[in-house]
Parts: sequence; structure tokens; C-alpha cells
Amino acid sequence: MAELTDIVNETIRREIEEYIERPDEVERNVGLFARTRPLMQEISAALIEGDDGTVDRLTKRALDENIDALEIMDDGLIAGMGIVGIKFRDNFIYVPEVLACARAMKAGMTYIEPILSASGVKPLATVVMGTVKGDLHDIGKNLCIMMLRGSGFSVVDLGVDTSDDEFIDAVEEHKAPILGMSALLTTTMPNMGRTIEAFIDADLREDVKIMVGGAPVTQEFADDMGADAYGKDALDCVAVAKGFVSVQA
Amino acid sequence: MPKIDPAAYRQRIDRMTEIFSDIAGRAEEVSKFRCPYRDRLDRCTGKFKCRNQVASPGENLTTCSHDGQFDYRSAWETKPESYGRAKARIKKIKRVSAEKRASLNAFPKKD
Repeated sequence: MAELTDIVNETIRREIEEYIERPDEVERNVGLFARTRPLMQEISAALIEGDDGTVDRLTKRALDENIDALEIMDDGLIAGMGIVGIKFRDNFIYVPEVLACARAMKAGMTYIEPILSASGVKPLATVVMGTVKGDLHDIGKNLCIMMLRGSGFSVVDLGVDTSDDEFIDAVEEHKAPILGMSALLTTTMPNMGRTIEAFIDADLREDVKIMVGGAPVTQEFADDMGADAYGKDALDCVAVAKGFVSVQA
Repeated sequence: MPKIDPAAYRQRIDRMTEIFSDIAGRAEEVSKFRCPYRDRLDRCTGKFKCRNQVASPGENLTTCSHDGQFDYRSAWETKPESYGRAKARIKKIKRVSAEKRASLNAFPKKD
């Protein structure tokens, strides 16, 4: 049976010792990391710390050393994200830290995506996501993006305060069949309707499925604005996007 | 370039979806009693104004002064009762856009 001392990386040992309390989870993670190579443990440790620069550098190094991409995913990225999930569940970290770790995961996946492409594995679809003009809130959008990427979608993140033109340009440039808009204020929410009208004016409305979400948004508002769907949370967002894809398929 | 077996990749995606689903579900719960922009050091990571923000000397981020005793969301949302106004604005945006399109169709540009 593997022991904590079998894990060479000090950060990983400390993470398991200090933050994992359930015996079954300790055993599983000790067993997992005890058998992974040191470079994978370094990737996990950097991901847990939200250090996307280091994850980027180490993932590239791993691939240059001919380490299998699936091993990097399993033993580096997913293993690290598993510990992040436990720490978040048990209130050792909060949403901002989780999103930093998700960004670090994306940094690693950026090198794996070309390999997927070469293997004929395509993303489920490309989704353009943004918070509407005048609104600077992004946590909900970022949680949706984390979920979408984790579920196999390719996501173009336009950030906050996104204008109609920026949404339209991104959808055209990336040939995205799905657009997701977020708003956190009742004063900015109508800008979703303005963007939808802009798509109609640009003769692009039929080419894209539009989903909307955010705390003040309701199904009723989504219908009033002419959106195709409303997502009440990040899980719903993925379900809606998958629904769009299956319909198009 | 080495290849990835699509079925094997699909298994990894399923595992990632499981982890992220748990995280998203937990985020929904945590956000009911703790602002999602508040990090583990009680700093505010929001890029907007909020009445609970307190400047910390020498720090880029402000500190969150919310005491957890009330629904924080009213601190950064303007007047929750403005739904009626939002609905009216949406209606107006659609009406104006439709009128503009009708006018353009009635008097198309000459080539």
C-alpha cells in the first residue's frame, strides 16, 4: 500500500496532509500520486496553486519529453483539479481560487488540443461567451466557461463590457454556432436584447443559437429578448449548449 | 505527432465533467452565503464598485467587509425592483429595431 512519503513532490504531500480529511480520499490520492512521475506531480502542484505560467511551461516540457498526452491529462491536470475540487468543497478555497486553477488547467490543455485535432477529435462546438456592454461582472460567465471547456466545447471568451459588434465579429471569425451572454444587473440585461437585434440586422440570427444567463435573467426575459434558451446556472449552460449541438447534428 | 484514442479522451472528458459539475454545484451553494468574488484571504476580486469594499494600504485588491449577516447581492446590484424598467427597455429596443428594419425594407438602398 502506498504511503504519503512515496510522493516525491513536497507541495502535493502538504496538500494531501493539510486539506484532504476523508480517509478514502486520502488513500485514493496517495495511491494516485505515489505512482505518478515527478514531472506530473509538479504540473499538479502548479495547477493547485493556480500558476498557469508554470503549468504551461511544464506541460510543454512533458510533451517535448514524449510523455503521452493522456498521461499528462490524467496524472498532471485532472489529478490536480481533483484536489482543487476537494479543497473547494471543504471551504479551504473559494470561487476566485477555483477559477485561477481552471485557467491553469486551460493553459495545459492548450498544448494537448493540437494533438486532439491531429487525432481527429473535434470539440463539440465553438461557443462565444461574454458579459454584455456596461456590465463588469464575470464570475458566472467564467464558471460556465470552465464547465463548457471541461465538457469538450471550445470557448472564445470575450470578457466583460462586450459590445454588439464584438459579439458579432467573434461569432463570424470563429464560425461559432453558439453565443452565450451574461448579465448581472437589471440595467444591463436589456443589452442582451440589443445584441440579439444586432444579429438580426446583420442577417446572422439564423446562423447562431443564443443562450442567456445571469442572476437577474429569467426564462420570461429570455423569451422577451428573443434568445433561444436560458441557462439558470453553469450546469444548465452546458446542458443547453449540448442540446443545441444535438439539434444541429 | 502521437495520436490520442478518441474513446480514451472521451473518458477523460467525462471525469473532468464530473469534477467541474461538483465544483459548479458547490459554487451555487457557497454563493448564497459568501460573495463569489471574495477570495480565501477575504479580498475582493470584482472589477466593479461594491459598498463592502474596503481599501487595503499597499494592496491592489480591496478587502471585503461583508459580515455574512445579510444577502450580499444587494451591495452590487442596482435596485432589484427595476425589473419593470428592464422589461420596458427590452420592449422598446425590439420596437425600435423592427421599425428601423421596416423602414429600410420600405426604402431599399439603390445599387
